[in-house]
Amino acid sequence: MEATPAWRKLPYRRLELYEPEGDLMTLQLGPQHPSTHGVLRIKLHLDGERIVKAVPFPGYLHRAVEKLCEQLTYVQIAPIVDKNDYVAPMTSEQAIILAIEKLLKVEVPRRARWLRSALAELQRVASHLLWLGTMTLDLGGALGGGGSVFVYTMRERELVLDLFEGLTGSRFHYNTHTVGGNRHDVPAGWAKDMHAALDLIEKRIPEYETLTQNNRLFVERMRGIGVLEPELALELGVTGPNLRASGVDHDLRRDAPFHAYDEVATNVITAKAGDCLARTQVRVAEMKESVRLARAFIDGLPEGPLVSGKPIKLPGQFKVNSGQVYAALESARGELGTFLVAGAGTSPYRLKIRPPSYHAISALPYLLPGHTVSDTVAILGSLDPIMGEVDR
Amino acid sequence: MTLFAWLSSILVAVIVLTVTAFGLWWERKLAGRMQSRLGPTIVGPIGLFQPIADLLKLVQKEPIIPQRADRALFWLAPPLTTLFALLVAALVPFGPKLAPANIDVGVPLIIALGGLALIPVWMAGWASHNKYALLGAMRAVAQSVSYGVPLVLTALVPVILAGSMNLNSIVAWQHRHHWLVVWPVFLGLPAFILFILAMLAEANRIPFDIPEAESELVAGVSTEYTGMHFGFIYLAEYVHTLVGSAVASTLFLGGWDGPFGPSVLWMVLKTCLLFSVLYWLRWSLVRLRADQLMALAWKWLVPAGLALVLLAAVWTQTPWGR
Amino acid sequence: MGYLLDGLKSMWTTALNAIRPPFTQEFPKVLRPHPERYHTSFALLHDETGDEACTGCGACARICPSQVITVKLGKRESAITQKKRGYADDFTLDLTACLVCELCVQVCPTDAIVMLKVPELPGFRREDLVLSMPRLYENEKSKPLGWSNATKLMAMQDPKAGAAKPEPSKETAPAPAAAGAAS
Repeated sequence: MEATPAWRKLPYRRLELYEPEGDLMTLQLGPQHPSTHGVLRIKLHLDGERIVKAVPFPGYLHRAVEKLCEQLTYVQIAPIVDKNDYVAPMTSEQAIILAIEKLLKVEVPRRARWLRSALAELQRVASHLLWLGTMTLDLGGALGGGGSVFVYTMRERELVLDLFEGLTGSRFHYNTHTVGGNRHDVPAGWAKDMHAALDLIEKRIPEYETLTQNNRLFVERMRGIGVLEPELALELGVTGPNLRASGVDHDLRRDAPFHAYDEVATNVITAKAGDCLARTQVRVAEMKESVRLARAFIDGLPEGPLVSGKPIKLPGQFKVNSGQVYAALESARGELGTFLVAGAGTSPYRLKIRPPSYHAISALPYLLPGHTVSDTVAILGSLDPIMGEVDR
Repeated sequence: MTLFAWLSSILVAVIVLTVTAFGLWWERKLAGRMQSRLGPTIVGPIGLFQPIADLLKLVQKEPIIPQRADRALFWLAPPLTTLFALLVAALVPFGPKLAPANIDVGVPLIIALGGLALIPVWMAGWASHNKYALLGAMRAVAQSVSYGVPLVLTALVPVILAGSMNLNSIVAWQHRHHWLVVWPVFLGLPAFILFILAMLAEANRIPFDIPEAESELVAGVSTEYTGMHFGFIYLAEYVHTLVGSAVASTLFLGGWDGPFGPSVLWMVLKTCLLFSVLYWLRWSLVRLRADQLMALAWKWLVPAGLALVLLAAVWTQTPWGR
Repeated sequence: MGYLLDGLKSMWTTALNAIRPPFTQEFPKVLRPHPERYHTSFALLHDETGDEACTGCGACARICPSQVITVKLGKRESAITQKKRGYADDFTLDLTACLVCELCVQVCPTDAIVMLKVPELPGFRREDLVLSMPRLYENEKSKPLGWSNATKLMAMQDPKAGAAKPEPSKETAPAPAAAGAAS
């Protein structure tokens, strides 16, 4: 007989114990709710304010991106797919491009790989900034201290978006990656702007810490809430900062280097507790680490061509007849993988995206029971789900 | 009731509502600056007429009543919230002579009226036929009941020291001796801080705004309200805070007592200053959870309040406090 | 006690931010500066002879991921050079579904389609966002043109660029053509 995992022994984690009784109140949290990070619906069975059972219902933002990509050629997929994770479009674009390059066996020039790494780190900073803002917004309310932190982090995130705009011309949905390299070269003075922006962000991070993780009011709300055991996290496939906050030392940047991460060492940040506070601490520390990495990548940006092979001129430029690949990178939310099966010709036969957010919210039925309605938003926010990515 | 009382009541109500309206503007401007934003700028000079624009917008909106709501209670609750909040203002002395209702049981009456404001909130939550509203109303009741106790206890400190329950007499006592936060500082300052905390909780302001925690309960009791009904609930919260600041400055900051100039000015100045500090607090802190709020009330504020009352009683028997 | 102290620290932080200059602007009155590569809408250009540069080849229509471009090819004699060549009889670009991915600009063989550097494109009707051919040529004259065109984008992505400065790493050499990458 299989031994019961430790996390399953906790009474409120044994979901089979609970059947919503007639006298439990059912609360539909979402899909239209201020703090479900988009359109997640969670069905909460409440005993007073205590949650007895929670069932998340994703799917309200389903846009059939994977099916759509089967109709598109390899050239056209990237600009569509970067709408998936609308908080970190740069990495969702890179994820699909990595898979296509692996399928087509295209080599990427060194300069493009370094530039991609720098962009990925900048995007991680921007994404974590937005996360910190919305997390505090969930705790403190839009008309309160949470709103203040939100506006501060948005202010600093604008700096990163300005950088992206200077590079690609768009603040969002850049389409700056192409099969075999990057489309936009670094403009003159961009590296200097980037250093200035990163310096400012690094200077401001202690301020957010004062308002959030060093503030006892905030800590009280977060400590011991939504503890995600490492076994449960691994079982559910939770990755990224959520997993690292549970004490599992796993980071694709170090463990399976993509881009240029094999050339610059990444410090993987972990925490032991696995609660909401640990997730906050991991993300804030990761922000600092990403600032360091982004600096290293832009300083060491090698000379050379940006694209290997011919630049895109035709929709059917890349042909492959068979093969299947899985490529993954560490996005701001965890392992963002793409499974690609080649069809005959210029389009994929099947495209499957493995979004880290989907696996993160699959932990909700285990994390929520036993907590109160107030903690729901804290737990949900601390997992950092992006519904565009969950539903695709 | 004399003509003077009528006139002064109307005057006070007008003053309170005007100050509240411009308090709205002031809060938005202040919040904007604290968040490195501009705040309102479009309507009027430096956005000064923004509250009027807000009011016009709210009045224009269609009042929607949910199909299964209790119509009578649903209609009645929002105006009552504002009314009860305003009633308290009638008791606050704005000058040695300018006290619309100068009655001898002022302090208990204020606290009773503050507690009464709970009833329309519960009415609204119950009548809305909405689970979020109901949860919000339940939280409001729990919170108000819990925080009423430290509110009474801390308000007893000036009562004991001044030896009167008449607000005007308390101010007069402070005028003769010291403001209570100044001396006896070990009684006045903690009592003042506790009173402010309990008052914030009674007025449902951050960090104690769990009844309408919009990130959890959408908007709490005001979830189903639209238009001016929502406006009344919104207004009540502001009036409650404003009147709460007025009561706090009356009890602890010397009320209308000032070194020079008219007494009304000093009262308004102190109230607005306290009001601004409360805004500042609001835009800096995150909210607590319901159970933490209860723990704070019963484990810390109530024992501390009891200790303060005891100390105050002892202090009046010492030669310095006589 | 610690709570009060942390509360005061938070209040200090917000006060600190209150004295910083605001980062927002009164939007319609003040516009933020746009970087050189900023791009929004589209324009069709004339070539140096003054003729329409678009040859109606439809490369942009084929590469467009959301298929918002429709081109109708027509052949006629040029009014200026008296040579018979292809023209776009009709060219429509529907901005309502445009991804602003810049691929159409990149693939244009004659640098005919470019993007604009205008702040925004509000409209009150859907038709305001459908760019017909006259509107696209009107945009060339009336609006500031963006930075990129096909030649510049291709030069930026030239696989031989920077090869003159050899790197210590062998990877900087132009990679061999990928399997099946030739078309």
